[in-house]
Amino acid sequence: MHSDLLISQSDGRPLYLQIMEQIKQRIAVGDWARGQEIPSIRQLAVSLQVSVITVKRAYLELEREGVIATQHGKGSIVASDPALSSRLYDEELAEHLDHVARLGELLGLSKNELASRLHEATVRFAERRTMKETL
Amino acid sequence: MKDLTVHFEGVSKRYPHFDLDSIDLELPTGSIMGFIGANGAGKSTTIRILMGLVHQDKGQVNVLGHSMPADQAAAKFDIGFVSEDMRLYGAATLRWHMEFVRSIYPLWDQLYAEKLLHRFDLKPQQKIKGLSHGQRVKAALLLALARRPRLLVLDEPTTGLDPVARHEVLGELMAVLADEERTILFSSHNTQDVEQISDQITFIDRGKILDSYDKETFLDRWRRLRLVLPESIALPHLPGVIDVGGSSRLPVLTTNRFEPAMLSVCQDLGATVQAVDSMTLEEIFVTSVQYRRETLAV
Amino acid sequence: MNYSMIRRLILKDWYLQRWIIAASVLGGIVALGIVCLGGQAAFMVGLILLLTALIAVGAQLAIATMVNERKEQTLSFVMSLPISYADYTSAKILGTVLIFMVPWMLLVLGTLALFAVPHGIPHGLLPFTAIMAIEILVNTCLMIAVALVTESQGWTVAAIMVGNIAINLVGYYVAHLPGIAKGMGGSSVMWSSTASTALLIEFATIAALLCLTFFFQSRKRDFL
Repeated sequence: MHSDLLISQSDGRPLYLQIMEQIKQRIAVGDWARGQEIPSIRQLAVSLQVSVITVKRAYLELEREGVIATQHGKGSIVASDPALSSRLYDEELAEHLDHVARLGELLGLSKNELASRLHEATVRFAERRTMKETL
Repeated sequence: MKDLTVHFEGVSKRYPHFDLDSIDLELPTGSIMGFIGANGAGKSTTIRILMGLVHQDKGQVNVLGHSMPADQAAAKFDIGFVSEDMRLYGAATLRWHMEFVRSIYPLWDQLYAEKLLHRFDLKPQQKIKGLSHGQRVKAALLLALARRPRLLVLDEPTTGLDPVARHEVLGELMAVLADEERTILFSSHNTQDVEQISDQITFIDRGKILDSYDKETFLDRWRRLRLVLPESIALPHLPGVIDVGGSSRLPVLTTNRFEPAMLSVCQDLGATVQAVDSMTLEEIFVTSVQYRRETLAV
Repeated sequence: MNYSMIRRLILKDWYLQRWIIAASVLGGIVALGIVCLGGQAAFMVGLILLLTALIAVGAQLAIATMVNERKEQTLSFVMSLPISYADYTSAKILGTVLIFMVPWMLLVLGTLALFAVPHGIPHGLLPFTAIMAIEILVNTCLMIAVALVTESQGWTVAAIMVGNIAINLVGYYVAHLPGIAKGMGGSSVMWSSTASTALLIEFATIAALLCLTFFFQSRKRDFL
């Protein structure tokens, strides 16, 4: 039984969050297709060597978010929600923006300064992309 | 009603220099419990009572539906037990031990035993006295695992193992749990092992159970809040906060009853909440032992 | 009682002690060979060797199967098996006595054979020999009892020494009892009531020792 997920002891976040995030990524990039059956809680726990209760919690949260659906007695499948991947990215963006806001405050940046820094970053990203494409 | 594999009710045992004090313990079938305590906290005594090897002075012990210690012979038929201080016969080979154990347990799985020999890198024709500590532990574990017991009781199974052997052992424990009828209790002072694979966590210190919950509840209830406090405001005592560290302007609160409402309470006091850190099991364990010892000392 | 487990535990000890048993039987046969050489000196040397071999194997069994089980921490392995402590006690007592009786029986039979051959041991010595053979059994039971109840090397060594001295004293005392001494030099067996009483006392001692061992074992509450 191989799930390809990898959790890290040195990652400060709780294990269930790491599992949730990796499953979301798996789905976002299309490794796990919509409607596809995913490993059972016990299977995933055994292959990750993580306690059953931790995986169960990750699945419950994913279910609440509508990322996966659990059929009673049958196991879990990836939800057939079309907006899934964009919503996943949306969540990730919100998380990163929170982080940016916190760092901005630590550095004593004003709202406008922060906004212009974000603008600069988007410009840099676009430049790099065109460079890659011309190459 | 929950299906309990192990159930302790008010179990006490008195020794001249140590008391085990009304232990209550519930281990649901199909789960794995990490039993954490410092050396001499009472882990081994509790486990010996569970196995019927030490008779409790008071209280009820029920294991797999058998009352202990009276029904220990029947109960041990379904228990695989390995303790750190357990030794096999030095003059005999591992193969002889395998045959001996196999002759006792009808559920012995020879195929699985051979697989474990390979996975643990053990040579069956080797005499036990020639094995290293890690190999001995793995040999004892092999003998316990291959009989396919409904309950595995492991007293400090990972102590003294090198990282590779530890990983192998933990992997086998998890593999056991693929079958949801089987249950594991293992004691350790290595909180990292426990944190990763346990469903249930129990802390014991000085013969008393400090806490016993499922792991997620455990980790959720403990938080460290890092605050920034304006000058001239002193932090009052907040319910659920068991430790205040840091400086007066930058206090760090540790709570074992965290809930989001706590943050608004801090903000209402005029404090800025800089961060809410989750804690590792090790930090939680050390803090709760210290807290308990301090409150007892007062 | 779990008889099949008791049987397995006994066979386990038999397997682990098989070389000791073999060595003692070999030593005993050499001793009997020396007796066969004839002459007063060879008779004495052979007898002492024979006694030594039997006392040594009894002591070794008590130490190896009981004291070492705890000292070398194999006790927790044994007690993890589906047995009660009463099963363990029964297996140890029964097992050690039975295992000891293998070399004991062989060497007693060997000695009896020496009575049977022409120009062998004078037949008058038969009652004394029987009493001493059973005395060795008493001695072994004492070592087993002390080893199992105390599980301590020190106490067991003390019991070995006491038993050893007891054998010599009993030998001296019995040999000088009028009912025994009278017939000792003769060429026919003189079975006196003194000899029967001595045997009876020995068997009673064995029974008492084993019962006491069970009693003390049943009072233990902590086995590890």
